Amino acid sequence: MRLLTKAWTVGVALVTAGALAACSGAGGTTGGAGGGSADEPVKLTVWSWDGTVELAVPGFEKANPGIEVEVVNAGSSSDEYQALDNAIQAGSGVPDLVMFEYFAVPYFAVPGKLADLGPLGAAELADDYVPSAWNNVTIGDGVYALPSDFGPAVMFWNEATFAKAGIDEAPATWDEYYEDAKRIRALGDDYYITQDTNDLFFLLSLIWQAGGRPFEVDGTTVHIDFSAPETQKAVAFWQKMIDEDLVNTKISAWSDDWNRALNDGTLASQNMGGWLTSTLPERAPDAAGDFRVALMPQWEKGERVGAENGGSSFGIPEAAANKEAAYTFLEYFTHGEGLQPRVDAGAFVPNTSVLDSPEFQDVKNPYFGDQKTGEVLAEASNIAAVGWQYPPFFEWARSTYADIATPFYTSGEGSLEEVLQTWEQRSVEYGNEQGFQVD
Amino acid sequence: MSATERMTRPAAASTLLPAGEPQQYRRRRTRQIGWAFVAPFGVLFALVFIVPITYAAYLSLFQDRMVGGPSFVGLDNYTKLFGDAQFWDGVSRVVSFTLIQVPIMLVLALVLALAMDSMRLRGMRFMRVAIFLPYAVPAIVSTLMWGFMLGVRYGLFGSINGWLGTDIDPFRPSTTLISIGIMVTWAFTGYNMLIFDSVLKAVPQELYEAAAIDGAGELRVIRAIKLPALRGSLVITVIFSIIGTFQIFNEPQILPSMVANSGITTYYTPNLYAFNLAFTGSQQGYAAALALVMAAFTIAIAYAVQIRGMRDALDQ
Repeated sequence: MRLLTKAWTVGVALVTAGALAACSGAGGTTGGAGGGSADEPVKLTVWSWDGTVELAVPGFEKANPGIEVEVVNAGSSSDEYQALDNAIQAGSGVPDLVMFEYFAVPYFAVPGKLADLGPLGAAELADDYVPSAWNNVTIGDGVYALPSDFGPAVMFWNEATFAKAGIDEAPATWDEYYEDAKRIRALGDDYYITQDTNDLFFLLSLIWQAGGRPFEVDGTTVHIDFSAPETQKAVAFWQKMIDEDLVNTKISAWSDDWNRALNDGTLASQNMGGWLTSTLPERAPDAAGDFRVALMPQWEKGERVGAENGGSSFGIPEAAANKEAAYTFLEYFTHGEGLQPRVDAGAFVPNTSVLDSPEFQDVKNPYFGDQKTGEVLAEASNIAAVGWQYPPFFEWARSTYADIATPFYTSGEGSLEEVLQTWEQRSVEYGNEQGFQVD
Repeated sequence: MSATERMTRPAAASTLLPAGEPQQYRRRRTRQIGWAFVAPFGVLFALVFIVPITYAAYLSLFQDRMVGGPSFVGLDNYTKLFGDAQFWDGVSRVVSFTLIQVPIMLVLALVLALAMDSMRLRGMRFMRVAIFLPYAVPAIVSTLMWGFMLGVRYGLFGSINGWLGTDIDPFRPSTTLISIGIMVTWAFTGYNMLIFDSVLKAVPQELYEAAAIDGAGELRVIRAIKLPALRGSLVITVIFSIIGTFQIFNEPQILPSMVANSGITTYYTPNLYAFNLAFTGSQQGYAAALALVMAAFTIAIAYAVQIRGMRDALDQ
């Protein structure tokens, strides 16, 4: 009996522990920077999971003796956003500069958690960034972040596998891509032109390029609509690719399987953000010399329209202690002197001054068979279409998308269109619940 | 508890003596000493149990909104939860998981413990440690390991399918739960076996001697002596297992990053749902309500098992 009671108590404790682990926030906050006085240096805290930001610090501190910068990795993506939300809610430990993926900017900017950088001087920098990147950090008249890296949608294609299928150049249009897909599929069981297991960002980049703009955001009013003809065109095309078994729906990106398939050449191409350039050599070392970078296939022959797949920026929380000093550093590493050390370390930045420079465009990349990949990436960045918006609750929406899309990708039952309809419906419900006006 | 009893007993006896100031004083004093003994437990209990659960209960009465901030909504989160199909989907999944996995695991553990106790096996010490060892492997590591083993493209199952010409995929929406069941069984059978084993070790030798004199065979000994001895520990292991399976989190949290389209949703288990509500949906209040309801649900079931187990024990 005694033992039972004990076991019972332990049991209750376990249940509660689990329950509470679920409710207690990740209180990871670093000491906030206090307001510096004339003789005491201002201390800036920067949250970043982009390792190259740190490289700009020594030069900055030398040029600005009154400011000390501490770069902290407070987690990537959602983890960091959660930590920031907690810090803002707690009213202490709010960092001075925070990294955001582009889709997360509205999440913080719309409820007024981010400072408008326009008055601090950001509005004048518009010309240094490719239009699409600039579009990502502006909401209405406000500038809420400065772009720090960029993901122009490009196609990485394995020349050797394409050659095996009797194709000697990258598909210029999606129609050609479809024909190529069939020929590559004919090579054998494991050969596919690409894979897709509910990769939302790829599907959105396809819609983006086709001209669809499913999200319209104006303050707290959000309009979601996947029924526009441009959107439908992109969705129908991808539906056809999946229906005809031209896309491998078993291998998900970033998995071990994915690395292997890229490595042995059975995955012939990948439409992704330009950032893959720097990690592909590690993922597929055996395919060295086989891969090339090309623009995404176009919807119409002769067109040059691009899209985006990922990228990030830095903003200053409204609750930050040293906004002006923070902006000085922000400008320094996203636009000024601090940019070059980051670029040298492999950062892919959307600054036209970098992208259009001969140093960037003329470098031959040995992994890509000495192709001048910079040229392609620069063009893909410049042609990325503008006008795309993410709803402020996109963070939630993208996790829900996986729930909805998985049954379709595993069973093949239903359609992408139905998936998107359900997604739209759930997003509308959630958005309204969160206090937005969504329809 | 027993320490306090011992302290209060002499005081109770002394009430027979004529009452006086020193007696009163002593009695109060002894009572206070009792509190001092309870205090370390009490403080910890309040800190890790009462305070957090009260805070969770408080949180569950609010709704966090991105526009407008938190607002008091009373019991709205609870009414919403009871009508939430995703929540019930997760609950029914862990309940059916418990109904199938727990008996299999416990029977397996029981058989192993009885086999060890039969004294007829060689290398028992090694066996005991080897079977227990998976319990020491962190769930994250074991999930990664099983993920590779059960993977169809490059894992063990890929090879098996290749040899046999079959097309078995352990991580389809229809099979993922079975795979998780295998992982959990692998991890916890040894732990439960150890509990049974220690209980069997405590059975007095005289009983076995008496049984031998009466001419009882091995099976008869198991039925008449060993199984009844295990009854209490069986109740404990059932309770532990129910609590454990209701809280499944690690496996469904990690698997999606390894295998595509395994059917694991953001609400696959109630715990995973609570986590996702709180951390990607920023619905802390709703997540708190869910956690509390699940805790109450688990406590109710564990309690029912305990009462039922005890009644059986008393019937004996």
